Amino acid sequence: MGRKITIEPVTRVEGHGKVTIRLDDAGKVTQSRFHVVEFRGFERFVQGRPYWEAPVLVQRLCGICPVSHHLAAAKAMDVIVGAGPGKLTATAEKMRRLMHYGQMLQSHALHFFHLSSPDFLLGMDADPAVRNIIGVAALNKDLAVQGILLRKFGQEIILATAGKKIHGTGAVPGGINKNLSPEERDRFLKGAAPLNIDQMIEWSRAAVELFKDYHRKNKDMVDGFAEFPSNHLSLVRKDGALDFYHGVLRAVDAEGRKVLNDVDYQDYLEYIGEETRSWSYMKFPYLRSLGKTDGWYRVGPLARLNTCDYIPSPLAQKEFEVYKAYTDGKPNNMSLHTHWARLIELLHSAEVIKELLLDKDLQGAKLVKKGKKVAEGVGLIEAPRGTLFHHYRINDDDQITMANLIVSTTNNNEPMNRAVHWVAMNVLSEKPEITEGMLNRVEVAIRAYDPCLSCATHAVGRMPLEVTLVDARGNVLQRKVR
Amino acid sequence: MERLKRRRLRGVACDANYQLNVEDALACAGYDTVIFVDAARGVDEDGAAGSVDGDAGAVRRLRKPFTFTRVRAAGSMPAMSHALRPEAVLAIAAELYGKTPDARLLAIRGKCWEVGEGLSAEAEADLALALEFLEGFLKEVRP
Repeated sequence: MGRKITIEPVTRVEGHGKVTIRLDDAGKVTQSRFHVVEFRGFERFVQGRPYWEAPVLVQRLCGICPVSHHLAAAKAMDVIVGAGPGKLTATAEKMRRLMHYGQMLQSHALHFFHLSSPDFLLGMDADPAVRNIIGVAALNKDLAVQGILLRKFGQEIILATAGKKIHGTGAVPGGINKNLSPEERDRFLKGAAPLNIDQMIEWSRAAVELFKDYHRKNKDMVDGFAEFPSNHLSLVRKDGALDFYHGVLRAVDAEGRKVLNDVDYQDYLEYIGEETRSWSYMKFPYLRSLGKTDGWYRVGPLARLNTCDYIPSPLAQKEFEVYKAYTDGKPNNMSLHTHWARLIELLHSAEVIKELLLDKDLQGAKLVKKGKKVAEGVGLIEAPRGTLFHHYRINDDDQITMANLIVSTTNNNEPMNRAVHWVAMNVLSEKPEITEGMLNRVEVAIRAYDPCLSCATHAVGRMPLEVTLVDARGNVLQRKVR
Repeated sequence: MERLKRRRLRGVACDANYQLNVEDALACAGYDTVIFVDAARGVDEDGAAGSVDGDAGAVRRLRKPFTFTRVRAAGSMPAMSHALRPEAVLAIAAELYGKTPDARLLAIRGKCWEVGEGLSAEAEADLALALEFLEGFLKEVRP
């Protein structure tokens, strides 16, 4: 009898998602789909709201990366108020950068230590009751504490730059509403151990080493798990450096050839299309030049380290060289290497935070600039899990009339489907029994890209995902809901 | 939370988060008593206020303006996500820091859940009752 597996919710993944795997009578996988079952509500919700509210409202899209939405919306509103790229004051841009790199630090720490490290340190087949941060703590208390304090440090940076820990108001159209006081700066630079930036840099370095050590011991699994060729897309600085806050859009193919050559993201609609499919609310973006079939791409840490030419901070650059040497300088298409890339970015974020804290521009008094208002603006940013697009139009009454958001999870929709399909074909297909550990590998594949689906669904605060196994006649044979 | 802060209760610290997360375990470990407060929707089977994180399905109207229940560390971590329930936060505090504060959940009946809207009149009334109760409780437990 054919079978179908559905996983819902994918634990440790935010948002409502569903994985359905169909098996034929011989237990062979005939179809796998990762689909999102929530309605995308936020783009409609912000319509009619004054444009200056958007940077605050959109933060409710995600519990992990509200700052990314805050800043992407603010960047779009900068354009609308005539203070687009290059026009902000040095203080405003650097405060925003500090906020964003604090966000990257806390999010990457959370993603790896809290959500993904249990799979590596305790094993994908470990009892799910212990395959979590408490299990990690029991195994290595210092590591668990480091993960928590890295996250806390990033949150404190956000508090100091955004003004509030939740739904901050720091970034405003055309600038920022506060600078960093010398007292705040010194607390991060010279705070009592362990909460100071030098300790964060050290722990970030240790995290990279931890992954490299795990990789050395589990090379075949890490390299082979959900490995598939793809295009890769991200912002890069104009000189090709890694930059999470601003840049031009670049995409490379699986061999490293540029397929999108450093274009202005205000024109993203010329280059990026969004395909809808009947079985998922989440759209499938693609590079128009390559078409719907071949134009899909990955975003996020793996993609960023494939598109950028170098990392502009010394310790992360050194790790980047090791990372790139592993694939002989070619793009890395191994899904679990996303964690390796993520930890290099964690280290880079810590280094950039220190560099910014030492910059006197953060104590500047010129916070906001305005110019000639226009009716439309696009803001892009590299969110922790990948490129985030915010696009708005306003009317003469300053009300938002159109919003289009392409979030990281949406950009990675096809790659996550491919990763799930890899697990379905290589782990689940033609097996006499489907174990919990096997189903967990479906989640591991998704978690490599994203622990957060609420952004993509544009739902608020919901997080489940389920995996269901269904036979050829549509009968549910196994369902995983946690 | 802002209203509670304004009352400047001696020995009481206030913090607000969009979602509970791992670092809240560190915060909890530093106190003898911890009270989790949030809007509540739905009702659990035992009649107590339902989940505070808006789980799907639990949408029935609550009968009481608020409920106040004891929370204990979870033995395991169900429904792992980056957003944690109070029980999971307490479990992490116990595992990492060896601290098990006396913890309670103050679940205040919610009315409207639209993003960006203020409190309804009913929610305001429930909040006032809950705050009055909480202030009384805090006066009793403070040294």
